[in-house]
Amino acid sequence: MISARLAWRNICLHRKKSLIIGLIMGFGILILFVGNSLIDTTISGLRRMFVEGYTGDLMVTGPTEFSTTVLGETAGSEEVLPHIAQIKKYEDFLEARQDVASILPILSGQVSFGIGEEELGSGYCFGVNIFDYRAFFPDNLTLVSGEWPKESDEPWVLLSEPTYALLQQSSDIEVKPGTKIIMTALANSAGTVIREVSVKGIIKFNQSNAQLSGITLVDADTMRDLLGFASLRDGAPQLSEHEAAFLTDFDPDSLFDNLFASQTITTEGEGQSELGLEPSQLDIPEDPGQEISQASSTTTVIAEIVPAWQFLLIRAKNGSNTSKLLDDLEAFSEELGDGDRVQDWIAGAGKVARTAVTIRLVFDLLVAVIAVVVVMIMMNVLVISVNERLHEIGTLRAIGAKRHVVRSMILYETTFMVLIAGAVGLILGYILLLIMGKVGIRAPNLFFEALFGGEILRPLISIGAAGRAFFWVLAMALVASWYPTRVAVRIEPVVAMRGD
Amino acid sequence: MSDIIIELDAVQKVYFLDTVEVEAIRDISLEIHSGDFVSIAGPSGSGKTTILNLIGCVDKPTSGTVIVNGQRTSDLDDDRLTELRHRSIGFIFQTFNLIPVLNIRENVELPLLLDGLSENETRAEREKWVDFLIDSVGLKDRMLHKPAELSGGQRQRVAIARALVMKPAIVLADEPTANLDSATGESILRLMRKMNETFGTTFIFSTHDPDIVEEADHIIRLKDGIIVEDFRINEDRSGDTLNFRNSIRATGTKATGTEGSQA
Repeated sequence: MISARLAWRNICLHRKKSLIIGLIMGFGILILFVGNSLIDTTISGLRRMFVEGYTGDLMVTGPTEFSTTVLGETAGSEEVLPHIAQIKKYEDFLEARQDVASILPILSGQVSFGIGEEELGSGYCFGVNIFDYRAFFPDNLTLVSGEWPKESDEPWVLLSEPTYALLQQSSDIEVKPGTKIIMTALANSAGTVIREVSVKGIIKFNQSNAQLSGITLVDADTMRDLLGFASLRDGAPQLSEHEAAFLTDFDPDSLFDNLFASQTITTEGEGQSELGLEPSQLDIPEDPGQEISQASSTTTVIAEIVPAWQFLLIRAKNGSNTSKLLDDLEAFSEELGDGDRVQDWIAGAGKVARTAVTIRLVFDLLVAVIAVVVVMIMMNVLVISVNERLHEIGTLRAIGAKRHVVRSMILYETTFMVLIAGAVGLILGYILLLIMGKVGIRAPNLFFEALFGGEILRPLISIGAAGRAFFWVLAMALVASWYPTRVAVRIEPVVAMRGD
Repeated sequence: MSDIIIELDAVQKVYFLDTVEVEAIRDISLEIHSGDFVSIAGPSGSGKTTILNLIGCVDKPTSGTVIVNGQRTSDLDDDRLTELRHRSIGFIFQTFNLIPVLNIRENVELPLLLDGLSENETRAEREKWVDFLIDSVGLKDRMLHKPAELSGGQRQRVAIARALVMKPAIVLADEPTANLDSATGESILRLMRKMNETFGTTFIFSTHDPDIVEEADHIIRLKDGIIVEDFRINEDRSGDTLNFRNSIRATGTKATGTEGSQA
């Protein structure tokens, strides 16, 4: 390959120019490699922390205009997030899929803690079924003291270490397993709700940051009470004959029949009970009068009880395509028509993850801007190089080199320089990342601590980042060599006949 | 008389420098025979290089016809012109034009490297041929040197070897001795003559040096873009004027040939 040989020899001969271009390329690869590795480390750390500890891969939330974090923070709204009305259908849909590993419904909100009359502080709470929760996040929860709640337990709370420390500091009473504490929340419909719960244990989240480590777990029914959802603590509701008939036959519009006799009024939520139960879910005979007549003064409504949940967390199977799952789930949600929101872990994680993703976008944008400048510099240096070799290229053309030979020669030169500069840049980047990994980058403040997923970020060496950096620079180099190549192939052989 | 290998008929070449038209040559008609050792003589600006460019297929005429090795150059596209140059024409440049990054051997071999090996050729045969040429120009012991390490005369010898490596029918040499001292120039000319005789290759060289001109056996004199004299030196060193139409008898030359005796 004479083109390759000429290209290589030219690189060696024109050392200064090659060095300038090589330095630009090598530095570019170094910056891209290290920068992307840092961002990859942050995002993969955040991803691991959230997906394996708090949000799962995807989540469905109740109807909301804006995305909602798993802590219940909704942009543009301070109201409690509504429950997922048809959660059972989501569960059925997801359980039938091959790419779903597990699902977990939870509730979430902000609660005040107190002992006796005294309010001692507030924090985020998850209302969960503790067995399901531990199964869904098997590695993220450690019991520091006390014991795991049992199914038969009275209302319980597992205090997070920071919450426990807060209560302990603020109260004269020693907080320990068995201590009764008061939880208070401002529910949407029910105003202020107060519940007494028993401390079952102190827990620690293995992967957390300052915000997440403070999450307290409470039994789902207590959380429902606190959020203003109907709790099904006592099982199926016991309804009187009157109430049962009200749920089935009673048409509230009939109350106003006399008043608006000539008007048809359509009410929102028609056909759904206030308990979140649809009439179809109630196992009441078609002719209720016949059955009710045989019953006592109260009637047990045998219903498929679907408790209220605000979030349905989803873990995808390893290696499955979560984007496709998200798309399918969005389509399914749209089909259901409740306005539920389907979102990925980034939305569920909130501003920390969004910031990391934004940093990546800003970095990529910055790289793109710098790339344009670098391409211009490289292009100029290459054009100068081609112009200095007019005579040589003209001679090649005169003695029989076709245009493609000249084109290959320039492209080989560019590629060789990318390979060499790339190798140097990657090796230097690798060494730098190794040093950073050993020394660690200390987070300067809480925000960075959240971003780093701890006080110190130890960047991982990302093969993907190395590959991306290399291909970025290769692409830049090829773009930069486009115009000089064009100039070179247009050199006419007659140029060789002119003197130096 | 041998076959005509180059034919120019009523050739004109006009260069456009911004808005100014410069007529480099006009109404040039000539014929060159295979195996000739031809000198194109004339002062600077007389059109010598323009004629070499047209014969060498590195430029096209504004009007008229150029036929090289049986092919009308104006009918050929860039690739076919390149192919014609590659296969049929060797170049020797005034400034040697060796590729600085290649050593002497590679420079000589370069035109061959632009092709793959042909079916009936082995690498060993090719290398033997290259070695033979380098030996022929007396540079066997400098084979691995870079052009910058050679003298002007040595570089021109390399250029001669490179021009011959494809076994072309024609070798064009544009003022091959202009950058050399007279002794070296003479040795280069002798070498070209030797190659001309050894391989039967047509050599066409331009020069403004009268001593060099006389070494040729076919002399074309130019002045202001037209041929003023075109004659062949016979074995007895008498001259036959070849191109009657364009000939303006120069005075003081050794041309004493028979007018109108077309070759």
